[in-house]
Amino acid sequence: MSITQISVFVESRPGHLTRTLEAFAEAGIQVRGFCAGDTGEYGIVRFIVDRPDAAMALLAERGAAARTSEVLCARLDDRPGALARAMVACAQAGINIVYCYSLAATCIALSVKDIASAEAALADADIDLVDQAELARVLAGATL
Amino acid sequence: MGTPMPAPDQIDFSALPIYLPEVECTSRERIRAIQLAKLIEQVGYTYARVPWYRDQMDALGVTPADIRTLDDVRKLPFTDKSALRETFPFGMFAVPMDEIVEMHASSGTTGKPIVVGYTAADMDVWSECIARLAQMAGVTAADRVQMAFGYGMFTGGFGLHYGIQRIGGMMIPAGAGNTERHIQMIEDYGTTTLIATPSYAMHICEVGEKLGFDWASSTLERGLFGGEPCPPRLKAEIEARMHITCTDNYGLTEVMGPGVSGECLAHRDQQHIAEDHFLWEVVDPATGEPVAEGEMGELVLTPLDKRGIPVLRYRTHDLTRVTTEPCACGRTLARMQKVRSRCDDMLIIRGTNVFPSQVEDVIGRIDELTPHYRIVVDNEGGLDRMTVEVEIKPEAFSDSFEEMSAFAREVAGKLRNVLLVTPVVRLVEPGGIERTLGKAKHVDDRRR
Repeated sequence: MSITQISVFVESRPGHLTRTLEAFAEAGIQVRGFCAGDTGEYGIVRFIVDRPDAAMALLAERGAAARTSEVLCARLDDRPGALARAMVACAQAGINIVYCYSLAATCIALSVKDIASAEAALADADIDLVDQAELARVLAGATL
Repeated sequence: MGTPMPAPDQIDFSALPIYLPEVECTSRERIRAIQLAKLIEQVGYTYARVPWYRDQMDALGVTPADIRTLDDVRKLPFTDKSALRETFPFGMFAVPMDEIVEMHASSGTTGKPIVVGYTAADMDVWSECIARLAQMAGVTAADRVQMAFGYGMFTGGFGLHYGIQRIGGMMIPAGAGNTERHIQMIEDYGTTTLIATPSYAMHICEVGEKLGFDWASSTLERGLFGGEPCPPRLKAEIEARMHITCTDNYGLTEVMGPGVSGECLAHRDQQHIAEDHFLWEVVDPATGEPVAEGEMGELVLTPLDKRGIPVLRYRTHDLTRVTTEPCACGRTLARMQKVRSRCDDMLIIRGTNVFPSQVEDVIGRIDELTPHYRIVVDNEGGLDRMTVEVEIKPEAFSDSFEEMSAFAREVAGKLRNVLLVTPVVRLVEPGGIERTLGKAKHVDDRRR
Protein backbone atom coordinates (compact mmCIF):
# COMPACT_ATOMS: atom_id res chain seq x y z
CA MET A 1 0.00 0.00 0.00
CA SER A 2 1.51 3.29 -1.07
CA ILE A 3 0.67 6.64 -2.59
CA THR A 4 2.22 8.45 -5.55
CA GLN A 5 4.53 11.34 -4.92
CA ILE A 6 5.63 13.79 -7.62
CA SER A 7 9.09 15.33 -7.45
CA VAL A 8 9.93 18.39 -9.48
CA PHE A 9 13.37 19.86 -10.16
CA VAL A 10 13.32 23.61 -9.64
CA GLU A 11 15.99 26.24 -9.51
CA SER A 12 16.35 27.94 -6.17
CA ARG A 13 15.24 31.34 -7.41
CA PRO A 14 12.28 33.56 -6.73
CA GLY A 15 9.25 32.61 -8.77
CA HIS A 16 10.37 29.20 -9.91
CA LEU A 17 8.18 27.18 -7.54
CA THR A 18 5.32 29.54 -8.26
CA ARG A 19 5.16 28.47 -11.88
CA THR A 20 4.43 24.88 -10.96
CA LEU A 21 1.91 25.83 -8.31
CA GLU A 22 0.08 28.17 -10.63
CA ALA A 23 -0.11 25.50 -13.28
CA PHE A 24 -1.59 23.11 -10.73
CA ALA A 25 -4.09 25.75 -9.64
CA GLU A 26 -5.14 26.46 -13.20
CA ALA A 27 -5.73 22.75 -13.84
CA GLY A 28 -7.66 22.39 -10.59
CA ILE A 29 -5.14 20.00 -9.10
CA GLN A 30 -5.34 19.86 -5.32
CA VAL A 31 -2.08 19.80 -3.40
CA ARG A 32 -2.45 17.58 -0.34
CA GLY A 33 1.06 17.95 0.95
CA PHE A 34 4.49 19.10 -0.15
CA CYS A 35 8.05 19.53 0.94
CA ALA A 36 10.76 21.65 -0.64
CA GLY A 37 14.45 21.11 -0.04
CA ASP A 38 17.38 22.79 -1.70
CA THR A 39 21.14 22.67 -2.11
CA GLY A 40 21.49 26.43 -2.48
CA GLU A 41 21.40 26.18 -6.28
CA TYR A 42 18.56 23.90 -7.11
CA GLY A 43 15.78 22.29 -5.20
CA ILE A 44 13.63 19.23 -5.37
CA VAL A 45 10.03 19.91 -4.48
CA ARG A 46 7.88 16.91 -3.67
CA PHE A 47 4.13 16.93 -3.94
CA ILE A 48 1.23 14.75 -2.96
CA VAL A 49 -1.73 15.73 -5.14
CA ASP A 50 -5.23 14.45 -5.71
CA ARG A 51 -4.63 13.54 -9.37
CA PRO A 52 -1.01 12.46 -9.88
CA ASP A 53 -1.52 11.36 -13.50
CA ALA A 54 -3.04 14.68 -14.51
CA ALA A 55 -0.31 16.56 -12.64
CA MET A 56 2.45 14.57 -14.37
CA ALA A 57 0.86 15.10 -17.79
CA LEU A 58 0.75 18.81 -17.08
CA LEU A 59 4.39 18.91 -15.98
CA ALA A 60 5.51 16.91 -19.02
CA GLU A 61 3.66 19.29 -21.30
CA ARG A 62 5.51 22.15 -19.67
CA GLY A 63 8.84 20.38 -20.22
CA ALA A 64 9.56 20.22 -16.49
CA ALA A 65 11.94 17.70 -14.97
CA ALA A 66 9.55 15.69 -12.85
CA ARG A 67 9.09 12.10 -11.84
CA THR A 68 6.87 10.00 -9.67
CA SER A 69 7.80 7.63 -6.89
CA GLU A 70 5.89 5.64 -4.36
CA VAL A 71 5.88 6.62 -0.71
CA LEU A 72 4.06 5.33 2.31
CA CYS A 73 1.34 7.42 3.83
CA ALA A 74 0.53 6.95 7.51
CA ARG A 75 -2.47 8.52 9.19
CA LEU A 76 -1.56 9.35 12.74
CA ASP A 77 -3.78 9.67 15.75
CA ASP A 78 -4.48 13.26 16.70
CA ARG A 79 -2.62 13.18 20.01
CA PRO A 80 0.84 13.75 21.52
CA GLY A 81 3.42 11.07 20.74
CA ALA A 82 1.73 9.82 17.59
CA LEU A 83 4.63 10.87 15.32
CA ALA A 84 7.19 9.41 17.72
CA ARG A 85 5.34 6.10 17.73
CA ALA A 86 5.51 5.84 13.92
CA MET A 87 9.24 6.61 13.91
CA VAL A 88 9.95 4.17 16.70
CA ALA A 89 8.15 1.42 14.80
CA CYS A 90 10.38 1.95 11.80
CA ALA A 91 13.56 2.33 13.85
CA GLN A 92 12.93 -0.88 15.75
CA ALA A 93 12.50 -2.74 12.48
CA GLY A 94 15.85 -1.29 11.29
CA ILE A 95 14.18 0.77 8.58
CA ASN A 96 15.84 4.03 7.61
CA ILE A 97 13.51 6.81 6.57
CA VAL A 98 15.21 8.66 3.72
CA TYR A 99 12.93 11.65 4.16
CA CYS A 100 9.53 12.32 5.58
CA TYR A 101 7.06 15.19 5.57
CA SER A 102 3.61 15.93 6.80
CA LEU A 103 0.59 16.34 4.59
CA ALA A 104 -2.49 18.34 5.40
CA ALA A 105 -4.14 17.05 8.61
CA THR A 106 -2.37 14.29 10.55
CA CYS A 107 -0.97 12.38 7.58
CA ILE A 108 2.74 11.97 6.97
CA ALA A 109 4.52 10.79 3.83
CA LEU A 110 7.55 8.55 4.36
CA SER A 111 10.16 7.73 1.77
CA VAL A 112 11.91 4.43 2.41
CA LYS A 113 13.93 2.06 0.26
CA ASP A 114 11.74 -0.96 0.99
CA ILE A 115 8.08 -0.03 1.17
CA ALA A 116 6.82 -3.52 2.03
CA SER A 117 8.90 -3.98 5.17
CA ALA A 118 8.20 -0.45 6.39
CA GLU A 119 4.55 -1.06 5.78
CA ALA A 120 4.70 -4.25 7.82
CA ALA A 121 6.55 -2.54 10.67
CA LEU A 122 3.99 0.29 10.84
CA ALA A 123 1.05 -2.09 10.57
CA ASP A 124 2.47 -4.16 13.45
CA ALA A 125 2.51 -0.97 15.52
CA ASP A 126 -1.14 -0.41 14.62
CA ILE A 127 -0.42 2.71 12.64
CA ASP A 128 -3.11 3.46 10.10
CA LEU A 129 -1.82 3.41 6.52
CA VAL A 130 -3.57 5.15 3.69
CA ASP A 131 -3.63 4.34 -0.02
CA GLN A 132 -4.31 6.66 -2.93
CA ALA A 133 -8.08 6.09 -2.98
CA GLU A 134 -8.44 6.47 0.72
CA LEU A 135 -6.28 9.61 0.75
CA ALA A 136 -8.93 11.46 -1.20
CA ARG A 137 -11.48 10.59 1.43
CA VAL A 138 -9.21 11.25 4.42
CA LEU A 139 -8.03 14.60 3.13
CA ALA A 140 -11.30 15.80 1.67
CA GLY A 141 -11.55 19.44 2.61
CA ALA A 142 -7.81 19.79 3.22
CA THR A 143 -6.19 21.32 0.18
CA LEU A 144 -2.95 23.33 0.47
CA MET B 1 16.50 8.73 -56.72
CA GLY B 2 18.21 10.42 -53.79
CA THR B 3 20.70 8.07 -52.19
CA PRO B 4 22.45 9.64 -49.22
CA MET B 5 25.94 8.49 -48.33
CA PRO B 6 26.25 5.71 -45.76
CA ALA B 7 28.21 6.10 -42.52
CA PRO B 8 31.92 6.95 -43.03
CA ASP B 9 33.08 3.40 -42.21
CA GLN B 10 30.83 1.95 -44.91
CA ILE B 11 31.93 4.21 -47.73
CA ASP B 12 34.16 2.80 -50.46
CA PHE B 13 36.42 5.82 -50.82
CA SER B 14 38.25 4.29 -53.78
CA ALA B 15 35.03 4.73 -55.75
CA LEU B 16 34.83 8.46 -55.03
CA PRO B 17 36.53 11.08 -57.19
CA ILE B 18 39.57 13.08 -56.08
CA TYR B 19 40.07 16.17 -58.19
CA LEU B 20 43.84 16.51 -57.99
CA PRO B 21 45.26 13.31 -56.46
CA GLU B 22 48.86 14.23 -57.31
CA VAL B 23 48.54 17.11 -54.85
CA GLU B 24 45.72 16.07 -52.53
CA CYS B 25 47.24 12.63 -51.84
CA THR B 26 50.93 13.42 -51.99
CA SER B 27 53.45 12.98 -49.17
CA ARG B 28 53.69 15.51 -46.36
CA GLU B 29 57.30 16.19 -47.41
CA ARG B 30 56.24 17.12 -50.92
CA ILE B 31 53.46 19.39 -49.65
CA ARG B 32 55.95 21.20 -47.45
CA ALA B 33 58.36 21.53 -50.34
CA ILE B 34 55.63 23.02 -52.54
CA GLN B 35 54.66 25.40 -49.74
CA LEU B 36 58.22 26.55 -49.13
CA ALA B 37 58.96 27.24 -52.80
CA LYS B 38 55.71 29.19 -53.15
CA LEU B 39 56.16 31.07 -49.86
CA ILE B 40 59.60 32.35 -50.86
CA GLU B 41 58.26 33.54 -54.19
CA GLN B 42 55.10 35.04 -52.71
CA VAL B 43 56.94 37.03 -50.04
CA GLY B 44 59.27 38.48 -52.68
CA TYR B 45 56.30 39.29 -54.93
CA THR B 46 54.42 40.97 -52.11
CA TYR B 47 57.40 42.98 -50.85
CA ALA B 48 58.14 44.23 -54.33
CA ARG B 49 54.59 45.21 -55.24
CA VAL B 50 52.62 46.25 -52.14
CA PRO B 51 53.94 49.34 -50.34
CA TRP B 52 51.90 48.54 -47.22
CA TYR B 53 53.76 45.25 -46.76
CA ARG B 54 57.12 46.75 -47.64
CA ASP B 55 56.64 49.34 -44.89
CA GLN B 56 55.55 46.70 -42.39
CA MET B 57 58.47 44.40 -43.17
CA ASP B 58 60.99 47.23 -43.19
CA ALA B 59 59.73 48.29 -39.78
CA LEU B 60 60.37 44.74 -38.51
CA GLY B 61 63.74 44.59 -40.26
CA VAL B 62 62.67 41.61 -42.35
CA THR B 63 63.47 41.16 -46.02
CA PRO B 64 62.30 38.44 -48.42
CA ALA B 65 65.82 36.92 -48.17
CA ASP B 66 65.08 36.06 -44.51
CA ILE B 67 62.48 33.51 -45.60
CA ARG B 68 64.37 30.24 -45.99
CA THR B 69 62.18 27.71 -44.14
CA LEU B 70 58.44 27.42 -43.55
CA ASP B 71 58.97 28.40 -39.91
CA ASP B 72 60.45 31.68 -41.11
CA VAL B 73 56.90 32.75 -41.91
CA ARG B 74 56.79 33.77 -38.24
CA LYS B 75 59.19 36.60 -38.97
CA LEU B 76 56.52 38.22 -41.14
CA PRO B 77 53.95 40.71 -39.88
CA PHE B 78 50.37 39.63 -39.25
CA THR B 79 47.60 41.13 -41.35
CA ASP B 80 44.29 42.12 -39.86
CA LYS B 81 41.02 43.12 -41.47
CA SER B 82 41.83 46.73 -40.59
CA ALA B 83 44.69 46.80 -43.11
CA LEU B 84 42.23 46.06 -45.92
CA ARG B 85 39.86 48.71 -44.59
CA GLU B 86 42.51 51.41 -44.29
CA THR B 87 43.51 50.87 -47.89
CA PHE B 88 39.93 50.81 -49.25
CA PRO B 89 39.20 50.17 -52.02
CA PHE B 90 42.27 49.15 -54.06
CA GLY B 91 45.27 50.05 -51.89
CA MET B 92 46.46 46.48 -51.35
CA PHE B 93 46.22 45.45 -54.99
CA ALA B 94 49.52 44.14 -56.37
CA VAL B 95 48.76 44.36 -60.06
CA PRO B 96 47.57 47.11 -62.44
CA MET B 97 43.78 47.25 -62.48
CA ASP B 98 43.60 45.98 -66.06
CA GLU B 99 44.93 42.61 -64.86
CA ILE B 100 42.00 42.25 -62.48
CA VAL B 101 39.22 40.23 -64.11
CA GLU B 102 36.69 40.11 -61.27
CA MET B 103 36.06 41.82 -58.00
CA HIS B 104 34.05 40.89 -54.96
CA ALA B 105 33.38 42.51 -51.63
CA SER B 106 32.35 41.44 -48.19
CA SER B 107 29.06 42.70 -46.81
CA GLY B 108 30.68 45.40 -44.71
CA THR B 109 28.37 45.09 -41.74
CA THR B 110 31.05 46.45 -39.43
CA GLY B 111 32.41 49.29 -41.52
CA LYS B 112 33.50 49.74 -45.10
CA PRO B 113 33.33 46.58 -47.19
CA ILE B 114 36.49 44.58 -47.82
CA VAL B 115 37.17 44.76 -51.55
CA VAL B 116 39.07 41.99 -53.26
CA GLY B 117 40.24 41.62 -56.85
CA TYR B 118 41.20 38.49 -58.72
CA THR B 119 43.53 38.05 -61.67
CA ALA B 120 42.81 35.33 -64.22
CA ALA B 121 45.35 33.14 -62.39
CA ASP B 122 43.56 33.79 -59.06
CA MET B 123 40.25 32.75 -60.62
CA ASP B 124 41.93 29.58 -61.82
CA VAL B 125 43.16 28.72 -58.31
CA TRP B 126 39.78 29.57 -56.82
CA SER B 127 37.78 27.35 -59.14
CA GLU B 128 40.31 24.56 -58.62
CA CYS B 129 39.82 24.79 -54.84
CA ILE B 130 36.04 24.65 -55.27
CA ALA B 131 36.38 21.70 -57.67
CA ARG B 132 38.30 19.84 -54.96
CA LEU B 133 35.70 20.33 -52.26
CA ALA B 134 32.85 19.51 -54.63
CA GLN B 135 34.55 16.21 -55.45
CA MET B 136 35.13 15.53 -51.73
CA ALA B 137 31.34 15.51 -51.52
CA GLY B 138 31.07 13.27 -54.59
CA VAL B 139 30.11 15.81 -57.29
CA THR B 140 31.09 14.74 -60.85
CA ALA B 141 30.45 15.93 -64.39
CA ALA B 142 27.18 13.97 -64.29
CA ASP B 143 25.72 16.24 -61.61
CA ARG B 144 23.12 18.97 -62.00
CA VAL B 145 23.87 21.63 -59.44
CA GLN B 146 21.30 24.18 -58.39
CA MET B 147 22.53 27.45 -56.92
CA ALA B 148 20.47 28.91 -54.08
CA PHE B 149 23.08 31.47 -53.01
CA GLY B 150 22.65 34.94 -54.33
CA TYR B 151 25.09 35.87 -57.08
CA GLY B 152 26.55 39.32 -56.70
CA MET B 153 29.38 40.79 -54.63
CA PHE B 154 29.27 37.90 -52.16
CA THR B 155 32.01 35.38 -53.02
CA GLY B 156 29.85 32.29 -52.48
CA GLY B 157 27.68 32.44 -55.58
CA PHE B 158 30.20 32.88 -58.38
CA GLY B 159 32.93 31.01 -56.51
CA LEU B 160 30.94 27.80 -56.34
CA HIS B 161 29.53 28.34 -59.82
CA TYR B 162 32.97 28.41 -61.51
CA GLY B 163 34.25 25.49 -59.46
CA ILE B 164 31.35 23.22 -60.39
CA GLN B 165 31.81 24.08 -64.06
CA ARG B 166 35.51 23.29 -63.69
CA ILE B 167 34.61 19.62 -63.10
CA GLY B 168 32.01 19.65 -65.84
CA GLY B 169 28.96 19.71 -63.60
CA MET B 170 25.92 21.50 -64.97
CA MET B 171 25.11 24.72 -63.13
CA ILE B 172 21.49 25.70 -62.68
CA PRO B 173 21.91 29.36 -61.65
CA ALA B 174 18.59 29.80 -59.88
CA GLY B 175 19.94 32.28 -57.35
CA ALA B 176 18.51 33.20 -53.99
CA GLY B 177 14.86 33.26 -53.04
CA ASN B 178 11.58 31.97 -54.43
CA THR B 179 11.54 28.72 -52.53
CA GLU B 180 8.64 27.12 -54.36
CA ARG B 181 10.37 27.73 -57.66
CA HIS B 182 13.51 26.04 -56.27
CA ILE B 183 11.50 22.95 -55.42
CA GLN B 184 9.83 22.99 -58.83
CA MET B 185 13.22 23.24 -60.51
CA ILE B 186 14.61 20.31 -58.52
CA GLU B 187 11.67 18.27 -59.78
CA ASP B 188 11.70 19.53 -63.39
CA TYR B 189 15.44 19.51 -64.04
CA GLY B 190 16.46 16.48 -61.97
CA THR B 191 18.77 18.50 -59.70
CA THR B 192 21.21 16.28 -57.79
CA THR B 193 23.08 18.89 -55.77
CA LEU B 194 21.85 21.96 -53.96
CA ILE B 195 24.14 24.84 -53.01
CA ALA B 196 22.63 26.82 -50.16
CA THR B 197 23.12 28.18 -46.70
CA PRO B 198 22.09 25.47 -44.21
CA SER B 199 19.27 27.59 -42.88
CA TYR B 200 17.88 28.17 -46.38
CA ALA B 201 18.19 24.44 -47.15
CA MET B 202 16.13 23.78 -44.03
CA HIS B 203 13.56 26.27 -45.26
CA ILE B 204 13.40 24.60 -48.68
CA CYS B 205 12.96 21.27 -46.89
CA GLU B 206 10.08 22.54 -44.79
CA VAL B 207 8.31 24.29 -47.63
CA GLY B 208 8.64 21.11 -49.71
CA GLU B 209 7.18 19.03 -46.90
CA LYS B 210 4.22 21.40 -46.61
CA LEU B 211 3.63 21.17 -50.35
CA GLY B 212 3.67 17.38 -50.07
CA PHE B 213 6.97 17.05 -51.98
CA ASP B 214 8.52 13.63 -51.34
CA TRP B 215 12.19 14.29 -50.58
CA ALA B 216 12.92 10.56 -50.24
CA SER B 217 12.15 9.91 -53.89
CA SER B 218 13.54 13.15 -55.31
CA THR B 219 16.69 13.23 -57.45
CA LEU B 220 18.50 15.36 -54.89
CA GLU B 221 21.55 13.58 -53.45
CA ARG B 222 23.56 16.20 -51.68
CA GLY B 223 23.83 19.71 -50.33
CA LEU B 224 26.92 21.90 -50.53
CA PHE B 225 26.56 24.37 -47.71
CA GLY B 226 28.26 27.63 -46.96
CA GLY B 227 27.75 31.26 -46.09
CA GLU B 228 27.20 30.62 -42.40
CA PRO B 229 28.31 28.05 -39.81
CA CYS B 230 26.46 24.76 -40.01
CA PRO B 231 25.67 23.34 -36.57
CA PRO B 232 26.00 19.50 -36.62
CA ARG B 233 22.45 19.02 -35.38
CA LEU B 234 20.98 21.16 -38.13
CA LYS B 235 23.00 19.30 -40.73
CA ALA B 236 21.89 15.92 -39.35
CA GLU B 237 18.28 17.03 -39.43
CA ILE B 238 18.48 18.26 -43.02
CA GLU B 239 20.20 15.03 -44.05
CA ALA B 240 17.49 12.92 -42.44
CA ARG B 241 14.52 14.92 -43.72
CA MET B 242 15.73 15.65 -47.25
CA HIS B 243 17.46 12.26 -47.67
CA ILE B 244 20.68 13.88 -48.82
CA THR B 245 24.33 14.14 -47.74
CA CYS B 246 25.48 17.61 -46.78
CA THR B 247 29.00 18.98 -46.56
CA ASP B 248 30.28 22.43 -45.96
CA ASN B 249 33.47 24.31 -46.64
CA TYR B 250 35.49 27.10 -45.13
CA GLY B 251 36.84 30.26 -46.57
CA LEU B 252 36.87 34.00 -46.22
CA THR B 253 36.76 36.81 -48.71
CA GLU B 254 40.05 38.32 -47.49
CA VAL B 255 42.12 35.30 -48.53
CA MET B 256 40.02 34.11 -51.51
CA GLY B 257 36.44 33.20 -50.59
CA PRO B 258 34.98 29.72 -50.13
CA GLY B 259 37.30 26.82 -50.83
CA VAL B 260 40.17 27.29 -48.37
CA SER B 261 39.13 23.95 -46.92
CA GLY B 262 36.36 21.43 -47.55
CA GLU B 263 34.68 18.58 -45.72
CA CYS B 264 35.34 15.05 -46.95
CA LEU B 265 33.03 12.18 -46.07
CA ALA B 266 35.46 10.40 -43.73
CA HIS B 267 35.62 12.99 -40.97
CA ARG B 268 32.43 14.97 -40.98
CA ASP B 269 33.62 17.56 -38.47
CA GLN B 270 36.84 18.36 -40.31
CA GLN B 271 37.86 19.98 -43.57
CA HIS B 272 40.92 19.39 -45.78
CA ILE B 273 42.90 22.57 -46.31
CA ALA B 274 44.13 23.33 -49.84
CA GLU B 275 47.65 23.43 -48.41
CA ASP B 276 49.42 23.95 -51.70
CA HIS B 277 47.57 27.27 -51.97
CA PHE B 278 47.32 28.24 -48.29
CA LEU B 279 49.97 28.04 -45.61
CA TRP B 280 48.24 27.60 -42.27
CA GLU B 281 49.40 28.40 -38.78
CA VAL B 282 47.52 27.93 -35.52
CA VAL B 283 48.52 30.48 -32.91
CA ASP B 284 47.61 31.47 -29.39
CA PRO B 285 45.28 34.41 -30.02
CA ALA B 286 46.64 36.27 -27.02
CA THR B 287 50.36 36.00 -27.82
CA GLY B 288 50.47 35.19 -31.54
CA GLU B 289 52.86 32.32 -30.72
CA PRO B 290 52.28 28.92 -32.38
CA VAL B 291 50.44 26.24 -30.43
CA ALA B 292 51.38 22.54 -30.62
CA GLU B 293 49.86 20.57 -33.50
CA GLY B 294 46.34 19.49 -32.63
CA GLU B 295 45.87 22.25 -30.04
CA MET B 296 43.07 24.78 -30.34
CA GLY B 297 44.07 28.24 -31.48
CA GLU B 298 43.51 30.98 -34.02
CA LEU B 299 43.84 30.07 -37.68
CA VAL B 300 46.30 32.27 -39.55
CA LEU B 301 46.40 31.93 -43.34
CA THR B 302 48.94 32.96 -45.95
CA PRO B 303 47.67 32.47 -49.51
CA LEU B 304 50.68 31.16 -51.43
CA ASP B 305 49.89 32.17 -54.98
CA LYS B 306 47.44 35.00 -54.77
CA ARG B 307 48.32 37.63 -57.34
CA GLY B 308 45.59 40.27 -57.21
CA ILE B 309 45.80 40.94 -53.48
CA PRO B 310 48.56 39.03 -51.74
CA VAL B 311 47.97 38.70 -48.01
CA LEU B 312 50.55 37.56 -45.50
CA ARG B 313 49.61 35.85 -42.24
CA TYR B 314 45.98 36.86 -42.23
CA ARG B 315 44.46 36.57 -38.77
CA THR B 316 41.09 34.95 -39.30
CA HIS B 317 39.99 35.26 -35.65
CA ASP B 318 38.52 31.79 -36.20
CA LEU B 319 39.38 29.08 -33.71
CA THR B 320 40.29 25.61 -34.85
CA ARG B 321 42.77 22.80 -34.44
CA VAL B 322 44.63 21.16 -37.30
CA THR B 323 45.82 17.59 -37.74
CA THR B 324 48.14 16.18 -40.40
CA GLU B 325 47.21 12.55 -39.69
CA PRO B 326 46.28 10.57 -42.81
CA CYS B 327 42.59 10.52 -43.68
CA ALA B 328 40.47 7.51 -44.65
CA CYS B 329 39.32 9.33 -47.79
CA GLY B 330 42.87 9.01 -49.16
CA ARG B 331 43.83 12.65 -48.96
CA THR B 332 46.97 13.65 -47.10
CA LEU B 333 46.20 17.37 -46.88
CA ALA B 334 45.88 18.62 -43.31
CA ARG B 335 42.44 18.74 -41.77
CA MET B 336 41.10 21.62 -39.72
CA GLN B 337 38.27 21.16 -37.29
CA LYS B 338 35.20 23.05 -38.40
CA VAL B 339 35.18 26.54 -37.01
CA ARG B 340 32.53 27.00 -34.39
CA SER B 341 33.86 29.92 -32.44
CA ARG B 342 35.92 33.03 -32.81
CA CYS B 343 38.81 34.39 -30.78
CA ASP B 344 36.56 37.12 -29.50
CA ASP B 345 34.82 34.31 -27.58
CA MET B 346 37.98 33.18 -25.80
CA LEU B 347 38.09 33.46 -22.03
CA ILE B 348 41.22 33.51 -19.95
CA ILE B 349 40.49 31.81 -16.64
CA ARG B 350 43.30 31.76 -14.11
CA GLY B 351 45.75 32.09 -16.98
CA THR B 352 44.27 29.24 -19.02
CA ASN B 353 42.63 29.82 -22.40
CA VAL B 354 39.08 28.48 -22.40
CA PHE B 355 36.83 28.40 -25.45
CA PRO B 356 33.06 28.11 -25.21
CA SER B 357 33.19 25.58 -28.04
CA GLN B 358 35.13 23.21 -25.75
CA VAL B 359 32.35 23.44 -23.19
CA GLU B 360 29.84 22.84 -25.98
CA ASP B 361 31.72 19.71 -27.08
CA VAL B 362 31.73 18.23 -23.58
CA ILE B 363 28.08 19.09 -22.92
CA GLY B 364 27.09 17.65 -26.29
CA ARG B 365 28.53 14.27 -25.33
CA ILE B 366 26.58 13.98 -22.07
CA ASP B 367 23.25 12.27 -22.75
CA GLU B 368 21.55 13.58 -19.62
CA LEU B 369 21.97 17.21 -20.70
CA THR B 370 20.33 19.35 -23.36
CA PRO B 371 22.80 21.17 -25.68
CA HIS B 372 22.07 24.50 -24.02
CA TYR B 373 24.58 26.00 -21.64
CA ARG B 374 25.78 29.28 -20.23
CA ILE B 375 29.15 30.25 -18.85
CA VAL B 376 29.36 32.81 -16.08
CA VAL B 377 32.76 34.10 -15.05
CA ASP B 378 33.32 36.24 -12.02
CA ASN B 379 36.05 36.96 -9.58
CA GLU B 380 35.99 35.97 -5.96
CA GLY B 381 38.75 37.12 -3.67
CA GLY B 382 41.11 37.71 -6.60
CA LEU B 383 40.50 34.29 -8.13
CA ASP B 384 38.59 33.75 -11.34
CA ARG B 385 35.57 31.55 -10.89
CA MET B 386 33.88 29.87 -13.82
CA THR B 387 30.36 28.59 -13.48
CA VAL B 388 28.82 26.45 -16.20
CA GLU B 389 25.05 26.29 -16.17
CA VAL B 390 23.67 23.18 -17.81
CA GLU B 391 20.14 21.97 -18.37
CA ILE B 392 19.17 18.47 -17.35
CA LYS B 393 16.75 16.63 -19.57
CA PRO B 394 13.43 15.85 -17.84
CA GLU B 395 14.06 12.10 -18.05
CA ALA B 396 17.48 12.43 -16.39
CA PHE B 397 16.12 13.92 -13.17
CA SER B 398 16.61 11.45 -10.32
CA ASP B 399 14.67 12.79 -7.31
CA SER B 400 17.72 12.36 -5.10
CA PHE B 401 19.90 15.23 -3.95
CA GLU B 402 22.77 12.81 -3.59
CA GLU B 403 22.53 11.57 -7.16
CA MET B 404 22.00 15.02 -8.61
CA SER B 405 25.03 16.41 -6.77
CA ALA B 406 27.12 13.43 -7.86
CA PHE B 407 26.00 14.06 -11.42
CA ALA B 408 26.95 17.75 -11.22
CA ARG B 409 30.40 16.72 -9.95
CA GLU B 410 30.74 14.23 -12.78
CA VAL B 411 29.96 16.95 -15.34
CA ALA B 412 32.49 19.25 -13.65
CA GLY B 413 35.09 16.47 -13.88
CA LYS B 414 34.48 15.96 -17.59
CA LEU B 415 34.80 19.71 -18.19
CA ARG B 416 38.00 19.90 -16.15
CA ASN B 417 39.58 17.10 -18.23
CA VAL B 418 39.14 19.17 -21.37
CA LEU B 419 39.43 22.76 -20.12
CA LEU B 420 42.16 22.17 -17.52
CA VAL B 421 40.17 24.52 -15.29
CA THR B 422 37.67 23.23 -12.74
CA PRO B 423 34.32 24.91 -13.16
CA VAL B 424 31.38 25.03 -10.79
CA VAL B 425 28.53 23.18 -12.48
CA ARG B 426 25.06 24.49 -11.82
CA LEU B 427 22.14 22.31 -12.82
CA VAL B 428 19.28 24.27 -14.29
CA GLU B 429 15.70 23.29 -15.10
CA PRO B 430 14.94 22.13 -18.64
CA GLY B 431 14.25 25.30 -20.62
CA GLY B 432 15.92 27.34 -17.87
CA ILE B 433 18.66 28.69 -20.13
CA GLU B 434 17.49 31.54 -22.27
CA ARG B 435 17.09 30.75 -25.97
CA THR B 436 17.96 33.65 -28.18
CA LEU B 437 17.23 33.96 -31.84
CA GLY B 438 20.37 33.70 -33.92
CA LYS B 439 23.58 33.72 -31.95
CA ALA B 440 22.98 32.39 -28.48
CA LYS B 441 24.63 34.36 -25.73
CA HIS B 442 26.72 31.71 -24.05
CA VAL B 443 29.07 33.79 -21.98
CA ASP B 444 28.51 36.26 -19.18
CA ASP B 445 31.89 37.60 -18.12
CA ARG B 446 31.31 39.70 -15.04
CA ARG B 447 34.99 40.49 -14.50
CA ARG B 448 34.87 43.22 -17.13
